[in-house]
Amino acid sequence: MDTFANFLGGTAALFGDPVGVLIFFGGVVGGMLFGAIPGVSMLTLAAILLPFTAHLKPEHGIMLFSVIYCTGVYGGAITAILFNIPGAPENAPTAFDGYPMTQKGKAGKAVGAAVMCSAIGGTISCIVMMIATAPIADWAISAFGPPEIFALVFFGLAVAASVGAKTFWKGWLSIMAGLMIAVVGLDPVGGMERYDFNMPYLLAGIHFIPTILGFFAVSEIFVQAEKKATGSYKAPKISVDFPTFRELWAHKIAVVRSIIIGFFCGILPGIGATLAAFMGYNEAVRWSKDKLEFGKGKLEGVISSETANNAATGAAMIPLLALGLPGGALTAMMVGVFQMHDMEPGPLVFINSPDLVWVVFAAMFFANLSILFVGFLETKTIINLLRIPFQFLAPMILLLATVGAYAVRGLVIDVVVMFIAGVAGYFLRRSGYSVAGIVLGLILGKIGEQTFAQAMQMLHFEFSGFLQRPIALGLLIAGFLTIGGSIYGAFFRKGPKAATMS
Amino acid sequence: MTLRKYLISAAVAAGFTLATTGSAIAACATDDLPAEMAGPDGFPARALTMVVPYGPAGGSGQVAQAMAQAVSDLTGVSINRDHKPGGSGTVGMTAYMATPADGYTVLEHIDDAASAHALDSARPNPAEALIPLVTSQITFSQIYIRTNEDRFTDWASFVDWVKAQDGKATIANVSKEGSMERVTMKFITDATGMQIQQISFDKGAPRYGALAGGQVDALFEQPGDVRKFLDADKFKPILTILKEAPEAFADVPSLTDAGLDFEPLFRFRGFYVKADAPEERVKWLQWAFQKAYCQPSYQKYNESKFMTLIESFRDTDGSKELITSTIAQYRDVYKEMGLEVR
Amino acid sequence: MGKFKTGDLVEAGLWLSLVAFLFAYSFEFDRNIEIYRYGATAWPRAILLLIAVAAIGQLLNQARHSDDSATGMFAAAADDASENTQHSSLGWYLCTFVLLAIPFVYMNLPGWIVSTNNIPEEGVARVKIITAAVLFVIYLIFAWRNHVGAILALPVFFAACLEDMGFYALAPFFIIGIMILMGERRISRMAMIMPLIYGLLLLCFVKLLYVGLPTGYVRPFYDFGNWVVALLQ
Repeated sequence: MDTFANFLGGTAALFGDPVGVLIFFGGVVGGMLFGAIPGVSMLTLAAILLPFTAHLKPEHGIMLFSVIYCTGVYGGAITAILFNIPGAPENAPTAFDGYPMTQKGKAGKAVGAAVMCSAIGGTISCIVMMIATAPIADWAISAFGPPEIFALVFFGLAVAASVGAKTFWKGWLSIMAGLMIAVVGLDPVGGMERYDFNMPYLLAGIHFIPTILGFFAVSEIFVQAEKKATGSYKAPKISVDFPTFRELWAHKIAVVRSIIIGFFCGILPGIGATLAAFMGYNEAVRWSKDKLEFGKGKLEGVISSETANNAATGAAMIPLLALGLPGGALTAMMVGVFQMHDMEPGPLVFINSPDLVWVVFAAMFFANLSILFVGFLETKTIINLLRIPFQFLAPMILLLATVGAYAVRGLVIDVVVMFIAGVAGYFLRRSGYSVAGIVLGLILGKIGEQTFAQAMQMLHFEFSGFLQRPIALGLLIAGFLTIGGSIYGAFFRKGPKAATMS
Repeated sequence: MTLRKYLISAAVAAGFTLATTGSAIAACATDDLPAEMAGPDGFPARALTMVVPYGPAGGSGQVAQAMAQAVSDLTGVSINRDHKPGGSGTVGMTAYMATPADGYTVLEHIDDAASAHALDSARPNPAEALIPLVTSQITFSQIYIRTNEDRFTDWASFVDWVKAQDGKATIANVSKEGSMERVTMKFITDATGMQIQQISFDKGAPRYGALAGGQVDALFEQPGDVRKFLDADKFKPILTILKEAPEAFADVPSLTDAGLDFEPLFRFRGFYVKADAPEERVKWLQWAFQKAYCQPSYQKYNESKFMTLIESFRDTDGSKELITSTIAQYRDVYKEMGLEVR
Repeated sequence: MGKFKTGDLVEAGLWLSLVAFLFAYSFEFDRNIEIYRYGATAWPRAILLLIAVAAIGQLLNQARHSDDSATGMFAAAADDASENTQHSSLGWYLCTFVLLAIPFVYMNLPGWIVSTNNIPEEGVARVKIITAAVLFVIYLIFAWRNHVGAILALPVFFAACLEDMGFYALAPFFIIGIMILMGERRISRMAMIMPLIYGLLLLCFVKLLYVGLPTGYVRPFYDFGNWVVALLQ
């Protein structure tokens, strides 16, 4: 077993180096903390740490980021569950059911499930990553060009439009609103200045981090503040009773399904974990017998989205390491870490620095395992954040969010955008529109327009060109079927939609 | 103006006859500057800030990191880098123009600032609104194909093949209209008479991935950015966009070899301070940044990015000339292309 | 087919006027891109078309299901109104609108004053500080009558001032402001907690992680911000 020997070698190299061990545990704790403190996320930590990695050894820098990635995706679930503030877009579906569970006093169960499922999803995905990175890399680089990625984005949007909003129309309008927000700034084909309203800072475009912070963190503060002001504020109930093994075992099929979905979505460059989480959640709803329970605090909702997004972490490393194509914001920063050391991720890394690759793989494996142990300990402390009186917690979260929004690009406009998104989120909240849909539209909109333009340029502006690309064609058809299905549902079936953002 | 433009081109051309490929001991441009210089009235009393209008990972982020390190090593003054990416450098420039002109904040910027001013004179002219402290990287572009490509193998066969495709051949390039890359591509297509569809990629990694993965037929890029692919023998250059081929790419045809007659445009990166900053402080900054250029750490970095193939150094006056001639050249080209020059 | 409800009509009207405005604005950047036939406008216009279709579709659908329980945005807002009285009136919306407009006035007014009165560069700082002070007084007047609006507007106002006045100088006041808006009245508690939050934040991000937070461009805020940074680093 070549893979196994390599893995042992990586493990030995990881734990044989005291500095490496220190950085490993720093990453595990840092990722979890930043993921789990409302207002900042693993991306904040990563953006802050990026310049420092120049002083680390390359394997340490990459390892640190991959560890933060694994534990941060899990950490973001905690705030999604406890405060309705997803730490990253991939945690958004976790909040659909996680937050209602907190409101019902079942926060412990939800967080416990997130810990277990993140660890399981992440670990299994890591194992597959170790075996499959090299062969998959060769296939994906030539099979997935702009037309395929555009088709995938289209499919992702079609799926996302059918989850999260009160009606099909509202889901679709939310996604479209997100796509329109993504248009602000320079256009991806000619660099034309769109919707800048003569404000030079808007040329940078609207970033999804401040938007997420605004829609979820800031608007949640506003809602709670209003309750405070009108005297209807109730401090959340705190519980630390974790789910029993039996409760988790009952959802074994959901876990397996989400691992498969998560892994395959995660492989795809550009979308990765976010799509994984949304699809994992959506499939759970589709296959479930009691669809109406979703969105009201169903454990399976948390399980399916958390398993899927962590299963995507290992998979996202495949295009990154094998092709040099980042799958999301954090993996894009990893490219930066490589470049700071005069290296580029890509096929060469396997040839030039196999040691580095295997140290990173081993580190990710153990980071996912450590979610189990450190996660349970940490959860018991983090959950106590709920005990801080709200009038003191609120300014803290708002300022953390300010730092978090500013640190990503160093632009004050991002702080302004965040607070405006907070106000918008406050008004949109009970309107039936899906703020998660807007965020997904915003993220995928940029990729979607760019790959559409590239695809059209490559296919010489003939739509029939898609017919000659079977993968793209398949994904487009799947997307149209999804939309058709929801239109059918909207017109010919009555009754409320299953999943609703509270 | 035209005469001056050609003089600059000649100076750049002279630069690569002096090219110091690979020899670290070679004399460096600022060796005669004093090794130490006291700042005026205790300047700088605190850390400097360097505004970088691009992210930390790209070419600009990396040169900012290398230069900041070199200046800190030389002077003991630390430099905080403040990355403000977006809008092809517009956002960082706007933010920088709003900072107080006290010499504590410096700016990294590239030739995009010059071409932006050429297109819209409301944008600051980096040679007038700013004082260039040093230009530390000047590089040229090349056309790349995959090493294992069998439909064509060199520039001549590439041009023939592209012409035979009747406009369906593709090349990956950056997206911004009027950018150095797009203008140069226009020069090439006009000079060869070939029709080729450019595919827009605004980020580097996907652009290289598109060539490696066979999604496009060729790639327009600067050698430093694709060095890993060159070293791994995945890509090979088939045209160097310079009048004369530098030694490191002696077997790749230059513009002259390929019979293409146009003035090449350069990618350059440099460091600036606001023009109304106190004069004495500017002098100290000029000394620090120009001297830092010759720090071994910075030279080593430049070498790793193929930035020593042609002379990369310009002092303040040299940078101003480079910028002014670049602006004039772009203005002419834009008018010719029918772009709206304001 | 049921009949159209006012709330649903207003909702669809808002979407359609947004579409119309953005479509009209798209002519601002309707220029030819040499290498891309569809140009910079095709994508946003296609989305705008889909938005219009979806907004009309939603309206028709709502009319069809008009016997259903209220699902529209304004129906939901009406639900809110019944559960808390502050939301009920048009006056509340107007007052909130004024409060939310204050930060945008700050972002534009000083520039306009400076350019119309030819104020030299040294005077710009003074114009900005005076404008901010006047707007803050206006904020207080309106905030007095509209608690929720005040909560919504304060962070936006804070963000609008951040570029000029910096994080270091504004954050303490922001912390106090939010605590007061959240109903805290004990001065001793606020005096204790404010430095705690401010200190922890600076310690963690500025001292340990070297994050460069905005120092502001306007003196004396610029000098204060740099003094704090120099003190910590």
